[in-house]
Amino acid sequence: MEITKAVITAARRTQRSLPLQTIIDSDGVEKSVLRILVEEVIDAGVDEICVIVYPGDETAYAATVGEHAGRLQFVQQEEQLGYAHAVYCAREFVGRDSFLHLVGDHLYVRPDGGRCAARVVEAARSHNSSVSAVQATRETLLPYFGAVGGHRLPGQTGLYQVETVVEKPTPTEAEQRLAASGLRAGHYLCFFGIHVLTATVMDLLGGLLSSTAAAGADGSPGAGLSLSAALNLLAQREQYLALEQRGMRLDIGVKYGLLTAQIALALNGQDRDEMLTRLLELLMTRSMQEGEEPI
Amino acid sequence: MSTLVGIITAADEDTRNRSLEQFARSASAETLLRECEALDRLRRENENLYEQVRALFFLHSIHRYHLPGKPGIAGRGVIPFRGYEELRNRRFEEAIETFLRHQAQAGPSDALSSGLSAAYRQLGFQTLADQVRRSVRSIAGNQWMFRIGHPSDHPLRVHRRLLRPLENGLFPILRETTPVRMDLTHCGWSDIFFLGMDFPEGARVLNVSIDLSVESADPTQAQAPRPPVEGYLRVIDRPVLRLASVDLQASAEITTFAEVFDFARDHLGLLKAALIAAGIVPPGMEGAHQPLSDLLSQLVGSGQGIELVSKVNDIPKGSRLAVSTSLLACLITVCMRATGQAGSLTGGLSEVERRLVAARAILGEWLGGSGGGWQDSGGVWPGIKLIEGRLSAEGDPEFGVSRGRLLPGHHLFGEDEISEETRQALQASLVLVHGGMAQDVGPILEMVTEKYLLRSEEEWMGRQQAIGALDEILGYLKAGNIKAIGEATERNFKGPIQTIIPWAGNLYTDRLIQQARAAFGEHFWGFWMLGGMSGGGMGFLFDPRHKSSAKVRLQEIMDKTKARMEQSVPFAMQPVVYDFAIDERGSWAELHGRAGETERRADGPAALMPGDYYRLTFPDILRRDPWLLSSAQRAELEIFSALSAGDPALGDVLPSLFQRMLPQKQEEESQDSLSAMLAANAFDREQHEQIRGDLRSGRIGLAQNRLPTRSLIEEVAPEELVDATAGLPERFDEIGRAALKAGEVAVVTLAGGAGSRWSQGAGVVKALNPFARLAGRHRNFIEIHLAKSRRSGRLCGTPLPHVITTSYLTHRAIADALGDGDGCGPDGPLLLSPGNSVGLRMVPMVRDLRFDWEESSRQVLDIQAEKVRESQHNALINWARSQGEGSDYVDNLPDQCIHPVGHWYELPHLLRNGVLRGLLEERPQLQYLMMHNIDTVGANVDPGLLGLHISAQGAMTAEVIHRRLEDRGGGLARVDGSVRLVEGMALPREEIEFRLTYYNTNTFWIHIDRLLAALGLERAALEDEETVAEALARMAARMPTYVTLKEVKKRWGRGQEDIFPVTQFEKLWGDMTALPEMDCGYVVVPRMRGQQLKEMAQLDGWLRDGSAAYVEDLCDWPD
Repeated sequence: MEITKAVITAARRTQRSLPLQTIIDSDGVEKSVLRILVEEVIDAGVDEICVIVYPGDETAYAATVGEHAGRLQFVQQEEQLGYAHAVYCAREFVGRDSFLHLVGDHLYVRPDGGRCAARVVEAARSHNSSVSAVQATRETLLPYFGAVGGHRLPGQTGLYQVETVVEKPTPTEAEQRLAASGLRAGHYLCFFGIHVLTATVMDLLGGLLSSTAAAGADGSPGAGLSLSAALNLLAQREQYLALEQRGMRLDIGVKYGLLTAQIALALNGQDRDEMLTRLLELLMTRSMQEGEEPI
Repeated sequence: MSTLVGIITAADEDTRNRSLEQFARSASAETLLRECEALDRLRRENENLYEQVRALFFLHSIHRYHLPGKPGIAGRGVIPFRGYEELRNRRFEEAIETFLRHQAQAGPSDALSSGLSAAYRQLGFQTLADQVRRSVRSIAGNQWMFRIGHPSDHPLRVHRRLLRPLENGLFPILRETTPVRMDLTHCGWSDIFFLGMDFPEGARVLNVSIDLSVESADPTQAQAPRPPVEGYLRVIDRPVLRLASVDLQASAEITTFAEVFDFARDHLGLLKAALIAAGIVPPGMEGAHQPLSDLLSQLVGSGQGIELVSKVNDIPKGSRLAVSTSLLACLITVCMRATGQAGSLTGGLSEVERRLVAARAILGEWLGGSGGGWQDSGGVWPGIKLIEGRLSAEGDPEFGVSRGRLLPGHHLFGEDEISEETRQALQASLVLVHGGMAQDVGPILEMVTEKYLLRSEEEWMGRQQAIGALDEILGYLKAGNIKAIGEATERNFKGPIQTIIPWAGNLYTDRLIQQARAAFGEHFWGFWMLGGMSGGGMGFLFDPRHKSSAKVRLQEIMDKTKARMEQSVPFAMQPVVYDFAIDERGSWAELHGRAGETERRADGPAALMPGDYYRLTFPDILRRDPWLLSSAQRAELEIFSALSAGDPALGDVLPSLFQRMLPQKQEEESQDSLSAMLAANAFDREQHEQIRGDLRSGRIGLAQNRLPTRSLIEEVAPEELVDATAGLPERFDEIGRAALKAGEVAVVTLAGGAGSRWSQGAGVVKALNPFARLAGRHRNFIEIHLAKSRRSGRLCGTPLPHVITTSYLTHRAIADALGDGDGCGPDGPLLLSPGNSVGLRMVPMVRDLRFDWEESSRQVLDIQAEKVRESQHNALINWARSQGEGSDYVDNLPDQCIHPVGHWYELPHLLRNGVLRGLLEERPQLQYLMMHNIDTVGANVDPGLLGLHISAQGAMTAEVIHRRLEDRGGGLARVDGSVRLVEGMALPREEIEFRLTYYNTNTFWIHIDRLLAALGLERAALEDEETVAEALARMAARMPTYVTLKEVKKRWGRGQEDIFPVTQFEKLWGDMTALPEMDCGYVVVPRMRGQQLKEMAQLDGWLRDGSAAYVEDLCDWPD
């Protein structure tokens, strides 16, 4: 399987500024979030990158990725019809090719310093099938993720044959449908935010978007559709694997998300000692002041 | 190898299904004791759940029914108090060890066997209950709820469609409606979990989901059948859980986790159980210290909460239609839908979802301390279905533990199997009723389990027949033959059902069937019992052409029969006839108040609760300052007032609000009739006030009933009483027979008491309760006593006079029943001796409630049931405080507020009301009285015992029996050197009772002249009322007065009952034995003669251990 294309979704109206935020990457260089994501993609051996944007955001986004700007193509999501629709907006860019997909509001860190996307692409290439990165996640976090159920592939480390995909399952449904062997009780394989998908997904999304009435937060028909619905169909249609990741997915869209991502990147990079020292200083200063009389 | 171990562990069914009786009947005590050792080893070492449990029930049965009475087993023995305490605290294993150790040292005895029997039985039920609990917890979909312990970890979120307020300020309401289930065959209780898990092949039920309405004589009030239970859920703008039960008239706002898990605090236990079992407040959060608002903020967002409302549409408690389980399932479903645990917010459920709801309903019932069968949530499914036990397979949590799964399989019948015509024909023929009786079926379900495990011969055969009946009825259903169904269901009721559990039938039901047949002849196709026991929900099948007239006639028959029997049988409500329809949807949800929808819709006003909800909640809201109301509450008031003008369902609420906010007239009326009753019964207000003062000041109370701790209380020596357990010498018989022939004896049956334990304070006349079928008919206590007197009289050739003492509670009913000649008809004179001493019950002192809780013997319940009971206890303490400790108890029917003052007064009444005088005038030779309790059914005028009493020449001889574990309440003792009967409540410490091996039967032989002498009277003085009154007053002053707590039922709503402990006072006859001038003798009699029937739960054992047959032999029935 050849994987030369990547799709990054960053069109959500309320989170348009996230990819523009700057942060010190693990190599100690200040970069925008979008640039870090683009480098993740390039490191995975993928050159053509499509970013799904809110209309009018193209210039600002292009400006933040420096020398990589030339590789980017922008596609506008003209109506706010949700995440699944945003992916579907890349259908012409993708054509009949398989593609790597990342979400624009997450950053990824591996403990060994390697790139997460590269592992997923490698697995997809060697198994010639769609692969989603997943992570064993406690059931208490199920309301935030899509989750997969399936069985472990014999002889393969961290690889699962996906049988079911459910978006934000309740733990009730998860227990009944999403059990995966080898996981601790109350843990499920939840999406990590990185996928390599075949073009079949675009066909499935097209079908679902034209038939579904699932309303989104603003009541628009189809906007309630999740990518998970299409991936669930994909699992019935063709081989679809899940690759367990040991790294961290960092949602920068939540409260203190960017700060947490910054600390995580620093602690996993060359500035680890400096970050630790500063954190310790903060803690110690506070502890000492607590013991003093107020001025 | 042991024979019984061989039966339990046999691979082939024939051997495994052999009964214990078959073997034990002829086995010697030595063999049985050897078998007990082997069974005890088996139950300890074997890992198979059902082999363990069956061994436990075999052991129970051997010790209860087979060892006592065998040669080599001592009648008298000491029960170690330590073992009793262990048993009471549910430390069954230790209790068994203690009893066995004692048995090894002191030898086997009847007394020790009673302890072992109780311990093995309870351990058996505990083992089974633990397994059900484990299975429910391990069902996929339920496990997570036990892992979530912190509000921040809560993984559920309320559906976003419920979170958006409407334009009018209200939140949308999710409404779930659920049919109830009807058991088409009465399955022989095969849906008991334990049975289904061991014998899945035999666990089969034909179950129909139905909608109901109560038949109304007024056609304008008639309503089409609708799903009987409804649940409503909405988001509210306050961070609380607001619960309301429209039918139980209870509501509360909950702000802590502790309140959610406090089930008996109010009438909202079912709603709380639903919230927990649905995972809204997962069971793992019990004990969490965080505020409940933290959890709500996860679920619905900061500052918001959830309201859950339940409503039962006019269906009373005890309907045998599993209303409470259906309501629980309905509430669980609406909670699950609201939190995304069902695929669809509205409409029906998928099969997977229904099964999960059923499993969670089982969990919810356990949490609430109750339990039904696995078919009870059948209403969640649509239409007619066959529910069957399933063998457990690999992957099931039960695999390797039990043969069957906890949850059965459901097969929904399509129209190709049971046609639409048949469904219509069934509806056109069946008249469903509620007969008005509401009874606790818990003991019945335990009996069924026990009998199944013992494979008792007759019952096992009955079960096979019941299984056959299901196939027969299913065949008729498929063939559309409704008439044959009627015949089969009635045959099933009269045959297998009552073979398995004789107590499933009763006289009331028999009379209804009889009258229906007399009125409709061949057009009455048959009776149909709806699960549990009869008398509540029942079915009658008629030729469809006669159904309308049958409905009217049945209502009349039930009303008339109830009126005739209500003094003797506990009724909870007026009987009703239902209209019903098969529900082909199952549980169904609708969303009321969609975005933009603010006007009324055809099926009800947008986003408003049912009218009754406002009747319940508005009084409180209207009393509050308007600025304390939330914006949604204000909006609701505005919309309600705007819509109520045009909507009769809402408009009806307003007038009743005033009634509810100012409820006065009814209370005044009730007070008036209580005063009249007190006046009519010579209530002594002055004495009452003195008692109240003493009670409040602490001079009297439960603790003060006790003898001083320095009292020396010892067991009597065997030579201090006569042992008549193996018969008495012939010479006593001769003396007794001569006295009987000479007409020197009369019987006094004490029937003035309420017998509160018999019907748990229902206030019926126990003496008239037709509790058992003897010689082919249901008989009450009085019939039995009179039949014994008739026989004694006939045997000696002189009719025996019989006196029944009565009180304000019992006199009218007993007089009426005897006037009816209702099966009594004595040969000799039959006299009623009315008493007119009454007391007015009082709200108990908190001190006494606590004393009773802490000090009195109390069986610790299963962990969850115990939590519920503790919560109940706290609720009762709050109730006593809020009512005013020691104040008059007047919040009930007048006859539930007053009480008889103990059986000590019954003999004095006999002296004061002229009955004894009249009897003596008519029969001057009369010299001896045998006085006994109404429930000592084995006591007769035994010539030998009479002869013994005559020969002893004392004023009184008291009968005692060898104590068993269940015989609590005092006994025979040497107190500070004198032998006397001592009441249990007078013993300074509980363990003292366990050193006393003789138990008081309350049967006394009295020498009339010597008793009069002890009172300072003689026969001639009986003419002088004043002298008699003075003598009795002197004696009364010497008798101790006991303060007791009695349970009374307060009935309300539709068949609902609350039980309250109230304080009352009594003097007891046994204390007369302490008077030296009575010169009392004592005789130990056989247990079957001396045992008293205090609780209905004793009946099965009474029947099985041969006591019923013993009594029957003593009787000579007039019919």
